[in-house]
Amino acid sequence: MDSKMFFGQYGGQFVPETLIPALDELETWYNKLKYDRKFNDELNALLTSYAGRPTPVYKAENLSKDLGCELYLKREDLMHTGAHKVNNTLGQALVTKYMGKKRVIAETGAGQHGVATATAAALFGMECTVFMGEVDARRQEPNVKRMQLLGAEVVRVQDGQRTLKDATNAALREWVASVETTHYIIGSIVGPYPFPEMVAYFQSVIGKEAKVQCRELGFDPDCVVACVGGGSNAIGIFQGFLDNKKVDIYGVEAGGVSDKDGEHARTIGMGKPGILHGAFSYLVQTPQYQVADVHSISAGLDYPGIGPVHAMLNDSGRVTYGYVRDDEALNAFQTLTRKEGIIPALESSHALAYVIENKEIFKGKKVLVNLSGRGDKDMEAILARGLV
Amino acid sequence: MRGFYIVGGYPDRQQFKKCLRLIAESGFEFVEIGIPFSEPVADGPVIASAIHEAVMNGVDIDAIMADVREMKAEFPAIRAIVMTYANIIHGYGEKRFSDDFADILSGVIIPDLPTRMHYWMTEKGLEIPIVPFVTPVSRDEDIELISGTQAPFVYYISIMGVTGSDKKKRADNRPEKAAKLTGKTVVTGFGIKTPEDAAKALSATGGYIIGTEAVRRQKDFREFSEYIKQFA
Ligand SMILES: Cc1ncc(COP(=O)(O)O)c(C=O)c1O
Repeated sequence: MDSKMFFGQYGGQFVPETLIPALDELETWYNKLKYDRKFNDELNALLTSYAGRPTPVYKAENLSKDLGCELYLKREDLMHTGAHKVNNTLGQALVTKYMGKKRVIAETGAGQHGVATATAAALFGMECTVFMGEVDARRQEPNVKRMQLLGAEVVRVQDGQRTLKDATNAALREWVASVETTHYIIGSIVGPYPFPEMVAYFQSVIGKEAKVQCRELGFDPDCVVACVGGGSNAIGIFQGFLDNKKVDIYGVEAGGVSDKDGEHARTIGMGKPGILHGAFSYLVQTPQYQVADVHSISAGLDYPGIGPVHAMLNDSGRVTYGYVRDDEALNAFQTLTRKEGIIPALESSHALAYVIENKEIFKGKKVLVNLSGRGDKDMEAILARGLV
Repeated sequence: MRGFYIVGGYPDRQQFKKCLRLIAESGFEFVEIGIPFSEPVADGPVIASAIHEAVMNGVDIDAIMADVREMKAEFPAIRAIVMTYANIIHGYGEKRFSDDFADILSGVIIPDLPTRMHYWMTEKGLEIPIVPFVTPVSRDEDIELISGTQAPFVYYISIMGVTGSDKKKRADNRPEKAAKLTGKTVVTGFGIKTPEDAAKALSATGGYIIGTEAVRRQKDFREFSEYIKQFA
């Protein structure tokens, strides 16, 4: 039937009937605004003068020497609010404004998407409620306070594993009840159509910029690497390079502690196709088709699902999906901090760790890593590990 | 058409069987059996927490369905309908689910499968009729999509929200439209608590389903049976 809703066999609209008119309305507005000059000018102005685009591509000389490759970092960590998330929230808040809705809701794991949503809501004068699992709220307390300072209401979700998936359930429930007045700013390329496509569009700026910046430096990268939670920063940078078959592309999932049940968040590596939060995609499940518990040291990757586009890119073989463990991510975190003076987010540390752990693959190559966010929010988790 | 929703296997197998049997022997037209799924996004706190508890204790689809089969053998007149989320049926296999249970089920209710996505499961072999939803925001085009439904009834969600919310219902001609278009009874769900609510829904749309208030009492059989009997 509606193939536009699918990426290969993945995607769709697996949501309560009550949301269908709102999804149609959103699709109509998105398709219109995507080509609207005024909308795009407004968004681009915000992305540059307010949020700090373009972000640089930085050659990490010290680490390059150690690793035997040329390592370049796309510095999304320098974005306003500390991560790539704001590319999406500014876009969606602007869509919300054009739709005439005055309230936004969001789910958040690490708190980065919540902060980026609260920020956009403050800027646009919108009411904002952010759902955050109790476990995440505790491990990212500064972000809870930040959202509250920005005027958002933070609902600490006590259901299930009390992490990102449960926060998303809560946000979906709230959306069903308030859909006529409220837009749900989903934080990754997950959810029902048109969200995966729209969020990918708003994040595509990362890849478009990076491609041009690399060309200005005189090269196309041999390899592009990004961490994958829901998959928004990854699809953002991948979109600059997917059509260039000479570029090898890697998505890095959170390997957690081990491959035992409940100790990892390797959605593609260990999951199988299933339905969660509106889309058919890979899903970490129990043998009884329940969504399984997952674990990652990084709250932003601690999610049993993945965007349907990544499921397609995995099956087609265009992108290689690997993983690193918590400890390897921590090691990468420390290495980048000490060697380059950049404190990365624990999520982004996974992408870097993949290059460090697999340096034989990358030897002699030009490697572009998406540094999706900075590590301020992770101080508590890091300190708890006794790293200083 | 009057029916109740209970959570399969909750709080344990014995108690679930007793509740199931009570509904059947009280002469209601249908019973809705929930197969618990860990992400009950269409459910409010009461049902969601029962489901979470059931999931923690381990969900055994075969055991739940064996109990439904046993009940149907004794009370063949009551219609049994399974309510569960899309991942459970897809994981089990649409075809296998139909092969195993079509003989005892009159329908399936899948709260995260809107009408426009029904084809996705039928083309994978789901042969049990999928009960379609009408909501307070359904447009004419949405209601038209359900015209050919084979389900025993149309499920009218009378409020904006998840199960158990007590928002105000709105006056609405959608149930009428749906009834006319499909020739099926429209069953009002969500927010029905008292015999008075039930009587109103019965005369307004021709049917009702009670979920939250039944599940709230599912742990205490005496309370459960006293509650159910008010509606018999
Ligand atoms: C810095 C950072 N990187 C990555 C992610 C993971 O999300 P996604 O896979 O959508 O980029 C998050 C999520 O919170 C994040 O904060």
